Amino acid sequence: MARGTASVESGNGSREERGQNSPLSPHSSPPGPRLGSRLARWWNREGIWYLFLAPAVLLLLVFLAYPLADSLVLSFYKWKGLGARKFVGLDNFERLLDDRFFWGATWHTLVFALVVTLGTVGIGYLLATVISRRVFGSGVYRVGFYLPVMLSVVVVAALWVRIYEFNWGLLNTVLRAIGLDVLALPWLADVKYALAAVIVVPIWQYAGFPMIVTLAAIEGIPQDLHDAATIDGVSEWQRTWRLIFPLVRPVVASISILQIIFSLKVFDLVWVMTKGSPGNSTAVLGTFLFRQGFETQKYGYASAVAVVMFLIVFTLTYLYQRLVKFDAVEF
Amino acid sequence: MRSNSEDRELEVADRRTANGSPFAARLLTRIMMVALAVWFIVELYPVIFLINTSLKTDSEILSTPFALPTAFNFGNYVRVWVGEGANNKPIALYLRNSIAVTVATLALLLAVSSLAGYALARGRFPGSAATQQTFLLCLAVPVHVLIIPVFFMMDRFGLRNDLLGLSLMYTTMGVPFTVLLMRAYFLSFPVEMEEAAQIDGCSRFGVFWRVVVPVSRNAIASMAIINVSWVWSELFFALVLMDRSEAQTMPLAVIAYAPKAMMGESTIGPQFAAMVTAAMPLILVYFLFQRQITKGMTMGAIR
Repeated sequence: MARGTASVESGNGSREERGQNSPLSPHSSPPGPRLGSRLARWWNREGIWYLFLAPAVLLLLVFLAYPLADSLVLSFYKWKGLGARKFVGLDNFERLLDDRFFWGATWHTLVFALVVTLGTVGIGYLLATVISRRVFGSGVYRVGFYLPVMLSVVVVAALWVRIYEFNWGLLNTVLRAIGLDVLALPWLADVKYALAAVIVVPIWQYAGFPMIVTLAAIEGIPQDLHDAATIDGVSEWQRTWRLIFPLVRPVVASISILQIIFSLKVFDLVWVMTKGSPGNSTAVLGTFLFRQGFETQKYGYASAVAVVMFLIVFTLTYLYQRLVKFDAVEF
Repeated sequence: MRSNSEDRELEVADRRTANGSPFAARLLTRIMMVALAVWFIVELYPVIFLINTSLKTDSEILSTPFALPTAFNFGNYVRVWVGEGANNKPIALYLRNSIAVTVATLALLLAVSSLAGYALARGRFPGSAATQQTFLLCLAVPVHVLIIPVFFMMDRFGLRNDLLGLSLMYTTMGVPFTVLLMRAYFLSFPVEMEEAAQIDGCSRFGVFWRVVVPVSRNAIASMAIINVSWVWSELFFALVLMDRSEAQTMPLAVIAYAPKAMMGESTIGPQFAAMVTAAMPLILVYFLFQRQITKGMTMGAIR
């Protein structure tokens, strides 16, 4: 272990040194008269920017680039955390293909991401179209619907564990009170319902997020377009679906992709609510990775999971970035 | 602004009456209003339930889950404040750790990101375009996949169970996003002001520190507000890196105070008190800076 990581480390270290030295060296070396003024000019126009960037780049190298590279390397090794790493080639990946718990976790992650995205964006869009008509109390709705987004996922998850609780949880209390005792199920303890029960929670928590974004887009539609539509005598139904929807569709598309990416990384929620149980029926890639790594000490195998997760999320995010660009903003 | 929105309201009212059969339109509006109100209750009742339950005694929680507490009972808060349970530390300790990590992360993050964002917005140097691309690529990395190497690296540096180690990790996680937003902001910053300062003999850093930062106070504050919610709530890295309870943060307190099966259900209340304690700072931030938050989120999403 020591040798394996040490070599990677030293390679990394030298890269950092180079990154730091190139902007610094002209400054620290004693400059000759003419060379000096040229250097000073270079320093003022170009060199100093490297110094501005240095802290951010250094952090990213040490805490992002190096761990990422090491994850990739580790996925080709067998390693228990102590002792030497043993090179096993693609063994970890081959074993992943045969691991039905891995496929289960992948499947749950995809279902989770898709349903949560459809739910939040769908509900958020509907809320936004209704609120944008300035119905009575729309200001209160706007503030209220976004409030759960601000809560920590851990708090929300722990709260919903209590809501789903079999004996005295809110949900079953309501169901029993209205005479639907048959529907009072052990929501999080039954293999059949646990995943669905977990999926409801982020839809509840995050519907306000697409709502706020869509609302901003709807309110950004120029008034002339509405006026033109009014002159043409469109009905409200046509206005909603033929005018507003096509105009905000790009925003809805981008928020959907963002929500998918965000949901694929789910960990906190599942960890606090079920830890992947019962019977792995709610296990997702995040919890699978955690358990393989930190509970069974199969760090090489867990790194292979990390690589798969990285590829899925990175590809999606990269495609998303090609579609949408950062522009100048004002506060 | 004000009159404009009033105009729009009139306009909307006009539209509503002008077209379609008035009865169908009115019915549809009614249905929408009811649906909206129902969803509002669905969204907010759990939050009220959370606060309500934290003020009840354990027997009240079990027998009358919907009722208001018979008397405001701060017993649960007292129980978490002194640290009830076998190996639970007082919540003040978790709170202190969370505040320390959040403050350190935000301070580091804002310093590092505004410097880098400024360089990307103003600098014309070899590799500036490539650097910006790199920040975009870093944004696409799901941080969860870094956990195993980060764990062993922190272990070797002695930064496990160390608030500084966690803060450094959080800062790194926030850097790509914050740098790109800061760059976008500085692009809209008036160059003339900086040029004037430079003619007066200010160095690049002098311009940044004496002119740009003071004028950008609002933007930098907005960055802090946008980042505070995830830093305060982060669980994954805290769970892995902080296994000693002296060093744990609020999300871990919520887990630590979960009712233990062996102690029965008499320990439900304290967890609710811990949850409210964890949620309150963010709710407070939300009500204080609601405009900046929704605006920042919108910006982040449409970026």
